Amino acid sequence: MNEDLYWTLVDIANGLLSGVMLGGYYAIIAIGLALTFGVMRMVNLAHGDMLVLAAYLAVLVLQFVPISPFITLALVIPVMFGVGYALQRFLLNAISVQSMERKGMSAGFGLMSPILVTFGLSIVIAHALLGGFASDARIIRNALSYSAVRLTEDLNLSTLRLIFFVIAVAILIALHLFLKRTHAGRAIRASADDAEIAPLMGIATPKINALASGIAIAIAGVAGVMVGMSRTFQPFDGPVFLLVAFGVVIVGGLGSIVGSLVGGILLGITQVLAGTYFGPSAQLVAGYILILFVLAVRPQGLFARRR
Amino acid sequence: MSISAPEHPALLTVKGLSAYYGESRALFGVGFAVEKGTVHSIVGANGAGKSTLLRAIVGMMNRGRAAHTAGSIEFKGRRIDALPTEEIVGLGVTMVPEGRRLFASMSVEENLVCGAFLPRCRGALGETLEDVYSLFPRLADRRQQAVSQMSGGEQQMVAIGRALMSSPELILLDELSLGLAPIVVDQIYERIAAINERGVTCIVIEQDTERAMRVAGAVSVLLEGRVVLEGDPDELGRDRVSAAYFGLETAGKAAGQGG
Repeated sequence: MNEDLYWTLVDIANGLLSGVMLGGYYAIIAIGLALTFGVMRMVNLAHGDMLVLAAYLAVLVLQFVPISPFITLALVIPVMFGVGYALQRFLLNAISVQSMERKGMSAGFGLMSPILVTFGLSIVIAHALLGGFASDARIIRNALSYSAVRLTEDLNLSTLRLIFFVIAVAILIALHLFLKRTHAGRAIRASADDAEIAPLMGIATPKINALASGIAIAIAGVAGVMVGMSRTFQPFDGPVFLLVAFGVVIVGGLGSIVGSLVGGILLGITQVLAGTYFGPSAQLVAGYILILFVLAVRPQGLFARRR
Repeated sequence: MSISAPEHPALLTVKGLSAYYGESRALFGVGFAVEKGTVHSIVGANGAGKSTLLRAIVGMMNRGRAAHTAGSIEFKGRRIDALPTEEIVGLGVTMVPEGRRLFASMSVEENLVCGAFLPRCRGALGETLEDVYSLFPRLADRRQQAVSQMSGGEQQMVAIGRALMSSPELILLDELSLGLAPIVVDQIYERIAAINERGVTCIVIEQDTERAMRVAGAVSVLLEGRVVLEGDPDELGRDRVSAAYFGLETAGKAAGQGG
């Protein structure tokens, strides 16, 4: 075989592989945002900061007990679930469209309030982390940082990325089964379909919203620990991940788990290939071009559920 | 009759119920009682407050300043007017809402199973589901079908079935015939009679006054947010109900209470 062609194919194959791996992890950065918006019709602008908060939580745990970063998830997941649950139950439920209307205010006020409140929350979390951990860049050390799985002589896969991909897919499948097969999962979907009618099924929507938010933030917590293991992070990095999440949601379409995975993979492949051919600075630009393209051609996203 | 409480207290008693949407008032001191095991029709022109009345009973008007009620609603002797909808449903009252309002992303069976969300309903879910399918065999053949692909009549069956999944004692039916062909409406009401025979008390809102009187053991006529006539439909007769419907008879309430 022509040697140039061989190396071109190796480049593309490597790009596709790591793009797919990156996509799994993008998908779980985004799925929480999609879930929150799908059920509560609320955009949580502090979503990215939740990831960073979880990463710092793992750092904190590792300062006291030197365990594998993966084991910190046993603490991070329940804590972040609690954060998400409490946030919705005691703060966001009180400023939802429904409760604003209940107080005699316009629906527009109800749409605006969560955006302002979560934007404020984003700032509060970032500054609290700055106060607690200073602005030094951190990384969650782990044994797998430099390890790779060799597929062929020239095709390699980062072990860490492979593990992340497997975890991400497992989480998405578990979420799918939860929403499809359990009473609580169906109640979440019922509230997303028709929040006014769901209570007629005996569903307490404030609790179900809180449950959905808890799950969304718990998954964001897993994503945050993964982010922290694969790159450095600082207290003010939240908005970066929020943008990734928006990108995935725009490409894949809201309210679809498969859409989040495919959207994440498309975004991942685009960024990696652009990085391979045009240098690291092209990565972000290529991602935004993909987002713009999808917005222009199919604004509801590639896998949007019909309403 | 002595002054003490009647021997058979009504299943549902509404007293002095007023309802407001912000500044505007939809009900003015409405009162009526529904006996256990009966079908009770509420008739009235558009805007008379029929849907508001049903929404108030299931707690969907307890929405703070924007929409709220005053007065009392008792179910089996217990005040329910301050409870949230899900707790009222927990006590055994439910509603088939106007326009069916199915969960559009779900299949027939998922919609039905959603109706059995309450912990007390989950244990017998399989049996209740089979009950609903025996009542509406057509749904059994289409359990996996998306509800959005079904005809209006079939969707109405899913909506009724979904309400039955919570094993209610009292079911409120809001304009079942909306947008359906007359023959389909006949089938639906024939099923309502079967549901009533199983001991479920029904409150029916129906545009078609004649049908409303035919299916019910008691009828209340609402006019501009007030009950202007009530009683046994056979004793009242069509002419008096029609007159009340159009506001031509207002002194009939006392006369109708004899039955």
